[in-house]
Amino acid sequence: MMTSRQHLTTNPSSIKTRFAYLFLRNLKRLNKYRPTSSSSRAVYQRYGMIKFAADASMASAVGSRRAWSRATLLKIRNRALNCTFLKRRRIHALRRRRAERKSRNPRQECAFGQANELRRLVPGGEVMDICNLLDETAHYIKCLNTQVQVMRNIVDFYSS
Amino acid sequence: MQPCSREMQALNSLLNQQDLQNGQQQISNTHQIHQSHFDPTSSHDDFLDQMLSSLPPSSWPDLPFASNPIGSLAAGHKLQDLSDQFDDQSQSALLVSKLRQHQISGGGAVAGNSPAAAKAFLLQQQLLLSRGLSAGGLRSPTGAGDSGILQMPLSLGTGEGFDGSQNNVVDGSSFKSPNLGGEGSVEALYNGFSGSLHGTGQASSQAQHFHHPQVQNFGAPATAMNQAPPASGSAEGGAPSQPRQRVRARRGQATDPHSIAERLRRERIAERMKALQELVPNANKTDKASMLDEIIDYVKFLQLQVKVLSMSRLGGAAAVAPLVADMSSEGSGDCLQGNGGRSCNAAQTASSSNDTMTVTEHQVAKLMEEDMGSAMQYLQGKGLCLMPISLATAISTATCHSRNTIATNPLLGSNGEGGPSSPSMSVLTVQSATMGNGSGDASVKDATSVSKP
Repeated sequence: MMTSRQHLTTNPSSIKTRFAYLFLRNLKRLNKYRPTSSSSRAVYQRYGMIKFAADASMASAVGSRRAWSRATLLKIRNRALNCTFLKRRRIHALRRRRAERKSRNPRQECAFGQANELRRLVPGGEVMDICNLLDETAHYIKCLNTQVQVMRNIVDFYSS
Repeated sequence: MQPCSREMQALNSLLNQQDLQNGQQQISNTHQIHQSHFDPTSSHDDFLDQMLSSLPPSSWPDLPFASNPIGSLAAGHKLQDLSDQFDDQSQSALLVSKLRQHQISGGGAVAGNSPAAAKAFLLQQQLLLSRGLSAGGLRSPTGAGDSGILQMPLSLGTGEGFDGSQNNVVDGSSFKSPNLGGEGSVEALYNGFSGSLHGTGQASSQAQHFHHPQVQNFGAPATAMNQAPPASGSAEGGAPSQPRQRVRARRGQATDPHSIAERLRRERIAERMKALQELVPNANKTDKASMLDEIIDYVKFLQLQVKVLSMSRLGGAAAVAPLVADMSSEGSGDCLQGNGGRSCNAAQTASSSNDTMTVTEHQVAKLMEEDMGSAMQYLQGKGLCLMPISLATAISTATCHSRNTIATNPLLGSNGEGGPSSPSMSVLTVQSATMGNGSGDASVKDATSVSKP
C-alpha cells in the first residue's frame, strides 16, 4: 500500500530524536523558572506549560510537512501574537462557529459520522475532507506515540 | 447524453440526406431476416421492449431522413419491418442513440483516456460512414427507421438473446449495450449485409472481437459497438439504465466518470483506514464505524497520556484537584474524582512486568518510610496511584469483564490512603489489561495500587 509505505518512510526515528531534543531544550528553559510556590494553581499552570512545550516541540519536530503540525504551529503563533484575553475569547468563538458551520456541511459519508469527533481531536482537522483527515490521523497517532515514548523515557530517567 | 450529442454532431456533419427509398427496401429485407431470429429469443423481445420503453419521449430533434444509410446494405429489408414495428421513427433513433451513448461511455471509460477513446471512436465512425455509404451517408440516427443504425439494436439484441455465454468470451466483457451474438448466430444476421457492405480494410481490421468483418461495414454504429468492447473492456456491472444489459463488465468498474471518481475516493479511504488499523492496537474490527471509534479512543488516550506524563514531570505530590477535575472532564468517562489535597494521579500507562512491579513496590515502600511526598512523587513519575483495595478490586473486575476503551483507562483513584496514618492501605497489585493485544507498551493498562497496612 502506497500510503502505508509512505507513513513508514517518514522516518519516525528522526522525528523521535528531533522531538526529544526540542522537548528537552524547552524543558530546560521552563525549569529556569521553578515555581516557588507549590500551590495547586502554580502547579497547574506549570503543567499546562509543560504540556504546551511538549506539543510545540512535537509540532516543530514534524515541521510543516503535515497539515496537523502546521495547524498546531499556527495556533501557537497566534496564541503568542494575540495574547490578550479578549482576543482569545473572540478567536475561540470564531473557531467554534467555524467548526460548527463546517460540521454542518455534509462533507462525509454517513459511515463517517464520527469524523466530526476526529476532526476535533486532530489539530487542524476541521478543514480537511475525510480522506486527508484519515491520513493526518495516522501520522498524528504515530507522532503521539513517539511523544509518549520519549516523555516516558525522560520521566524514567529522571525519577530513577 | 453529452457524448451522444457530440457523436450526433459528427455524424450529422458527415451525413447527407438522401432519399429513403433504397434504404427502406433494404431495411425491410434485413428486417425479415432479422425477424427469423426474433422468435426463438423472447429475451430479445423483452430487451427490445425495454429499450423502447426506456426511450425518452423524444429528446432528439427529428432530422430529415437521409438517404438510406444502408444503401449499401443488401439486406435492408430486415429493417423495414423493424421500422414498421417502431411506432415512431424517433424512437428507434433514440434507441440507437442510447446504445451508442453507452458504448461511447463504455469505450470512454475503459480506455482510460476517455476523451481520446471517444474521439477515436468518432473518427472510426466517420470513416466507416464515409466509406460504407454509397448513397451518401447514414441518416442521422434521429431519423427513424434508419436501416443501418437500427440494425445495431436489433442485431445486438438478437445476439444477446442467442448466446450470452459466447458473448462473454467474445467481448471480453465490456459491452454495455447488448452484445452482438456469437459467431454462428450473428453470422446469419449479417450475411445479408455483407454482400452490400464491403468491409473496408479498416473496418475489418477494426473487428477485433467481433468475428464478422462484414458487420463493420454495415454501419458505423455496428463497428463502433464492436470497437467499444475491445477498447473499453469495462462497463458498469448491472448498469441500471440499461435493464437487459448483460453484466460483462469487470466488477467494480464504472463507465460513468462520477462513479469512477467515487470509486477512487472510496478506495483511497479504505487504504487509509487499513493503514490506521495497523497503527491502532486492538484493531480487529472489520466495521468501519467501530474502527473509527477505536481510532478516536486511541487518539484521546494518547493525548491523555501526554497530559499525564507532563503532569508527572512536575514531580509535585501536591494535590491536583484542578488537575483531576481537568482530567476527568477530558473524556475519561469512568474517572473517579480524586480527593483534593492528595495526589493521586492516575496514569494507567505504565506497563510493567511483574518484576518491575515488585521493584517498584519496594521502592515505594522504602520511600514511604522517609517521606510520603517523595513516595507519591515517585509513583506519579511511574504513572501510578494509590487507592483503596476495595476500589481496586472493583475496578479490576469491572475492567476485566467489560470491553474497555482506552479512554476509560485512566483511573483517578480516590485517595484516602495517601498518608501513613490511613488504615485502609494494603498491598495490592491489580492488573487490568484492557487492550486486546496487551503489548508491552503503553497499550497495556494496568492499575497498580501499592499501599501499606
